[in-house]
Amino acid sequence: MNDRKLKRLFASARLETPPAPPGDFAADVLRAVRRGPPAAAPESLSVFDQLNLWFPRLALAASTVIVLCCALDYGLTAAGVPSLSDGVSQLSAQWLLTPAGL
Amino acid sequence: MAENRNREFAQPAGQNLNSTETASNDAELLERIRGGATDDFAELIRRHQSRVFAILHRYERDAHKVEDLAQETFLKAWRALGQFDGRAPFEHWLSRIAARVALDHLRKEKRRQNEIGLPELGDDALDWLRSDDEKSELDARSAAELLELAMRELSPADRVVITMQELEGRSVKEIAAVMGASGVAVRVRAMRARSKLRQALEKIAKEKL
Repeated sequence: MNDRKLKRLFASARLETPPAPPGDFAADVLRAVRRGPPAAAPESLSVFDQLNLWFPRLALAASTVIVLCCALDYGLTAAGVPSLSDGVSQLSAQWLLTPAGL
Repeated sequence: MAENRNREFAQPAGQNLNSTETASNDAELLERIRGGATDDFAELIRRHQSRVFAILHRYERDAHKVEDLAQETFLKAWRALGQFDGRAPFEHWLSRIAARVALDHLRKEKRRQNEIGLPELGDDALDWLRSDDEKSELDARSAAELLELAMRELSPADRVVITMQELEGRSVKEIAAVMGASGVAVRVRAMRARSKLRQALEKIAKEKL
């Protein structure tokens, strides 16, 4: 399909006659205007749609938690408080991996 | 050439007023509507309904759906009348609303696309598509049906850009205003969309053999 053929296709399609508005179209719209804003029809959303909608919030919440944990770890390390991994090492050395075994 | 095309699209068929007169009359009508004359909105609808139907028909071939979309367009215009500042003609502002309604409609339809069967193409369209004859012509209806089928391969945004540019003769600036994008982004999108459309047409020609 070359450019010239595509242009001819567009040119032909441009000539199509659109449907004529029904005679009472304006009156119908005016009636809808007077009724006020129509209630939005509930749209059924799939699980993926819902995840898509929630993704930015979930990503923000997860990022906040990660940043808070990093800041907390940095702060506690700087303050000299033993970290969780130190506690685990101590526990395993004292209780689990003693020379006498379990 | 482009200017002629724009002139052709600027005035809807059957409208006798020139654009300056229409704009001035629209301004008077809008003034009265804002003053509380709700009934005058019907006159505004009657003036512009053909144009709105023509725009929406480029995106939806079902006449009933076109009517629903046209109603949605005018309702949105009604609710947003306070935001219309009158710097551009009302017709342009309304056309932008119609294009956005069409874009939303295409996005919803895209989600349901797998559930909807593809429209049947006539033999004329397929013969024309496969023909190497540079001078063969295709009737308007078949051309529109063929484009509709090929455009289903495009994203809704690509489709709006290519339709506004090629079928409605809109400027890049107008398309950018509807899409909320820069002129450069619109040009790039239009170029890619045209390429995808060409591929889709080639695919149709091969698949339907």
